Order: sequence, then C-alpha cells, then structure tokens
Amino acid sequence: MSAIASEYLPVLLFFAVGIAFALIFVSAPIAVSALTGTAKPEAVKLSEYESGFPAFSDARAKFDVQFYLVAILFIVFDLEAAFLFPWAVSLHWGGESAWWAMMEFLGELAIGLVYAWKVGALEWE
Amino acid sequence: MIGLTHYLAVSAALFVLGVFGIFLNRRNIIIILMALELILLSVNINLVAFSAYLHQVHGQIFAMFVLTVAAGEAAIGLAILVIYFRNRGTVAVDQADLMKG
Amino acid sequence: MHPIFASIAIAGPETILTLGSLAALMLGTFTPKHRALVVTSLFAVAILGVAGFSLTDAPAGRSIAFDGLYVADDFSAYLKVIIMAAAAASVLLALPWLQERGAGRFEYPVLMLLAALGMAMMVSANDLLTLYVGLELAALPSYVLAAFSRADDRSAEAGLKYFVLGALASGMLLYGVTLVYGFAGSTQLDVIAQLVSAQAERSIGMLFGIVFILAGLAFKVSAVPFHMWTPDVYEGAPTPVAAFFSAAPKAAALGLMARVLVVAFPGKVAADWQQIIMFIAIASMVLGAVAAVAQTNVKRLLAYSSIANIGFALVGLSPGSPAGISALLFYVTVYVAMTLGSFLVVLQLRRPDGGTVETMADLAGLSKTQPKLALALAIFMFSLAGIPPLLGFWPKFAVFQAAIASGLLGLAIIGFIASVVAAFYYLRLIKIMYFDEPAVALASEGSPVNGALIAACALFCSPLGMLAMSPLAVATARAAAALFPA
Repeated sequence: MSAIASEYLPVLLFFAVGIAFALIFVSAPIAVSALTGTAKPEAVKLSEYESGFPAFSDARAKFDVQFYLVAILFIVFDLEAAFLFPWAVSLHWGGESAWWAMMEFLGELAIGLVYAWKVGALEWE
Repeated sequence: MIGLTHYLAVSAALFVLGVFGIFLNRRNIIIILMALELILLSVNINLVAFSAYLHQVHGQIFAMFVLTVAAGEAAIGLAILVIYFRNRGTVAVDQADLMKG
Repeated sequence: MHPIFASIAIAGPETILTLGSLAALMLGTFTPKHRALVVTSLFAVAILGVAGFSLTDAPAGRSIAFDGLYVADDFSAYLKVIIMAAAAASVLLALPWLQERGAGRFEYPVLMLLAALGMAMMVSANDLLTLYVGLELAALPSYVLAAFSRADDRSAEAGLKYFVLGALASGMLLYGVTLVYGFAGSTQLDVIAQLVSAQAERSIGMLFGIVFILAGLAFKVSAVPFHMWTPDVYEGAPTPVAAFFSAAPKAAALGLMARVLVVAFPGKVAADWQQIIMFIAIASMVLGAVAAVAQTNVKRLLAYSSIANIGFALVGLSPGSPAGISALLFYVTVYVAMTLGSFLVVLQLRRPDGGTVETMADLAGLSKTQPKLALALAIFMFSLAGIPPLLGFWPKFAVFQAAIASGLLGLAIIGFIASVVAAFYYLRLIKIMYFDEPAVALASEGSPVNGALIAACALFCSPLGMLAMSPLAVATARAAAALFPA
C-alpha cells in the first residue's frame, strides 16, 4: 500500500463504521415497526420532511423574517467550529498559550450568547 | 499540470464577477451580499494557492481569518437588510435612493 | 514569564479595551433598563480613559509582540491617544440624543468600544493579517452604528449603503493583500520591505497589489474617487454617529495608510505609490471644495468638508518623508477637534418642533438666537477654512511646507487654490449665521457635557490653541520618526 493511501486508512475505516451505523439506525426502526404491526402509512406520514415546509411549492415563496434572525445567530456561533478544528489538530505545537487563547475565545462567545439570550434574540416571537 | 497561474486566473475571474455582480445588479440586495461572498472566496483561493506555492502556512491561516470575518460580515449585512426590509417592505436595489446629491 | 504574557502586556491598551467591551456588554445586559445606557456609557468612557492613560506608561521605543504581528511604537501611541479621546467624546456627545430616544439601547457605547479596539489594532498593525482584522473590527460596528435608528428609513438606507460599499472596499483591499503576500512572500510589513528591495525588477503583480490596497484604504478615509458613500452616510446616519465617523476612523485609517506605505514599500517602490497618493490628494481637495458649494444640507456640507480635509492630510503623506508624516499627524489632530466641534454644534441645536438641524437655511440668524453656539461654529468654520490666526491654518501650512521641501511645488499650489475655493462655502455659512434674518428660532438642547466639549474644541481651534503647537510639534516629530528606522 502506498504511503499516501495508508495515511488515509483511518478515514476509510471511519467511513465504513459510519455507514454501517447509519444503516443500522435507519433500518432497525423500520424493521421493528413493520414486524410489530405499528406501521400505519397515511398521506402526511408518507410525505417528505422538509423542515416543516411543503416539499414542492414555488421557490419564490416569502420566508418569515424570523428565519433570517435565527440564520444570523447560527452563522456567528457556527464559526467557532471553523477555528476549533485547526486548533485541535495543532494544539500540541501551540502548547499552553494556544489552550488559553481558545478558552478566551470560547469565553467571548459565551458572553455573546448570554447577551443574545438576555435581550430575547433567541425567542421566536 | 495545474500551476499557480491557473489558480490566479480563476480567482481573478471570480473577483471580477463579484465586482460586476455588485454594480450591474439592479434587482435584489441579497444578490449583492452573494457577490460580496464571491469576492472573498476569490481572495481565499489566492491565499491558499500562494500558500502552497510558497510552502508557507501563513496564507492558509490568513484564509481562516478571512472565512470568519466573511461570516461575521454576512451576519451584519443580513441584519441591516432585515431592518431595511422592515422599513421599506422591499429589497430592490433601485428603491434605495432616499438621499441624492 | 511565558512569551504570550509579554505580548499581552505590550498590547496593553487593546487588552484593556477587549476586556472592557465584554464587561460593558454584560454590565448593560444586567443593569435595569432605565439606567443601562447611562451606566454603560460612563463605564465605556472610563475604559477608554484607562486605555489612553496606559499608553503613557508604555516603554519608550519600539516593541514587537505576537511574533511580529503587532508593534507598539511612538507612532501608534500618538494616534491611539487621538483615537481614544475622539471615541470617548463620541460616546459622551451621543448620550443626550440617545436618552431622548429611549434609555434601553446600551449597545451604542459597546459598539464604540469595539470600534475603538479595531482602530487601535489598525494603527499598531505590523502584519497584513493584523491590518485586515483591525480594519474589519473597526468597520463592522460602524455599519451597525450607521443603521442605529432602526425606525428611520434614511438611517437603514445609510447603513445598507455603507455596508455594501465598505465590504466591497475591504474585498478590494484583501485582494491586494493576497497579491502582495504572493509576490513578496511574506505578510509582515518590514519583511515585505526587505524582500521587495531584494527583488531585481519590480513585479506587475506587486504593483497591482499596492493599487488594490490603496483603493481599499482610500475608501476607508473617504478620499476621491472612493468618496461616494460619504455624503449619503453622513446625511442618513444619526448625527452623533456621523460625528464619530468623521473623527476617529479617519485618524486610524490615515495612520494605517502611512504605516503600510512607509514601512512596507520604501525605496524604489515608493515612487509608484507617491504618484497615486498625489492624485488622490489633488482629486479629494478639488472635489471636496467644488462639490460642497452646491450643498444645502449641513451634514452633507460637513461630509464634503471632510473629503477635502482628507485631501489636505494626504498632501502630507505624498512626500513620504518624516516631515510630511509629522505634518499629517498634526493635521489629523487639529482636524479631529474641528470636525467634532462642528458636529457637536449641529447636534446641540434643536428646531422648535424638536427635530435636529438639517438644512443650512435653518441656521439663518443663529447669531441672534444662540450667540454662543454661533460663535463656536464660526470659529470651527474659520479654522476649517484655514484663516491664519486660527489653529486650522497651521496644519495646512505644515503639510504644504513638507510638500514643497520635497520638491512637490505643484501639489502645494493646487492645494492652496483648493483651500481658497473651500473658504468660500465656509464663509457663506458664517454669512448665513451672522447676516441673514432668523427663519426659525433654534433652541439649544442644553446638555452641559456637550457644551463643555464644544467650548474645549473651540478653545483648541481658536488662536489660543497655538500654545499647544510646540508640544504637538515635538510629539508628532517623535511619532513620525518611529516609522523611519535609523
């Protein structure tokens, strides 16, 4: 096996395990409900789930402006993940200062969350 | 073989597309936000290409920061857009003309 | 001591501002609504004061922190003092205006603190990365501030325009940054200078990079041909926010421009950027003077005035010499006092229906209804026009002198003509205030803090301000010398 291929072996294993578990988690409930007789198909149950919207309708429908506000908050708090991954894989070079730098960053995010919570930005209404 | 020049050409094309997307678009402000993201994307391609070319990690770290700031910028842009929409009831570009001179 | 703590200590003002802004946000969140604004504002002013005074304690000379990302020297210290003072004044002057519109909106001082933090980072940037992050940290709160009166159509539109054009400008700047990084091979300013001077011939990619960086920075200082946003944003944004925009961010962006150009592109590349800066300076001076003549709105007039003033300040940058940079710093100092003072007077005046002054016709006969404010505004206008006994004359004199000393006689002559044209509309405003019949009886909003700020700015701009000139000359010369390593 070439050096590059063996470097990515863990990723391949991860994929295999992930797919296996996904198959189990999806098929097991279907099999159980089919075997125990609790499966009662009807129109609403059979339709696709698209985050609460009808799956097929005009794409130019107006969204509630609340969705944008949630999206804005999501973008900001999603960003920490973009920093956490490179930080995690390079932590053994950065040492203690890298650790505290990230803790400081997370602390600032937490303060932002407290603010958003307190002013009611997380309420739907 | 794809070299540095190819990456620079793609990124220059994306950059020009982004700039034109801002100035030629008369319909929707959301499209302007998308064009801005296109510009920042072209910048990131440049950074990563140069970083690989120079065998330095600086460019990639810079790209991470650009990514983050771009997201923050998009969040603020959307927030201002929501305020604007609540006042005017439209997001058409040619309606934004209250001040002239 | 771990090196990170040494770096944090060198970046003392920024550390104080960071922790202070987080504390201010929490303070505002957990204070009862009716007191939140006042408490947070006073806290923010205190933080800005502490950050400013921490500069006096800094070690002399040049200290590099964070592996070369950050530099603290006399240049950054001088500009930081101006930025902190202007930001503190902007927080204070907004208080009465904000209280009239509901006391719960404590985000205003917090955003100011964050913008001040970004501006402090800008003038201390020793690396293109710090430059970019600082610039964005200063810009993002500014977009929000421009749209701060949420219910006002014009404020929302101003915020939107400012955001779109500002984001475009930082995109252009960033594109230039990537080109400079790629063609030089480093993001650190002094290393770029070494690498560029080692190159045999100048590369086209590098030239494009410098042009894009200059375009982005010209937008931030609102210099022609990237000035289009300025009148609209000044008119639409709430008046205290426009006052803030005209002062501290201009000082920070000019400082950043000077540091990038002088430190990263000295020697043979300097001729390239000097041409661009000269063009921008001439265009800003001329357009600022000519376009302002037709304005009827006071805030738009002040916007064009700030465009013209940026042009004069850039005359000081054109030679790229220590004398020029020192004149630029002197210009910025006096300009900040003049523009803050003018906006303060506009903010202090109230129409009979309670609204703020918008058109120049509103100011007719101000000398009869509000003689003290009329006198202050007259001082600021004479000073902006550069009439000799007032302080505003001396920085203009200094930048022209620096230009002539470097052989840029033509630039100085055009600047002189532009300042004569500009004097016309400043004097016209004075004529409206002193010789026209009052149209509406303007009241003073009567805030004692703002009154004191107006008095302080007016005293500084009056001939008495010349007493401050010799200490200022020493400080600006030392600050400018920090950019030119011996």
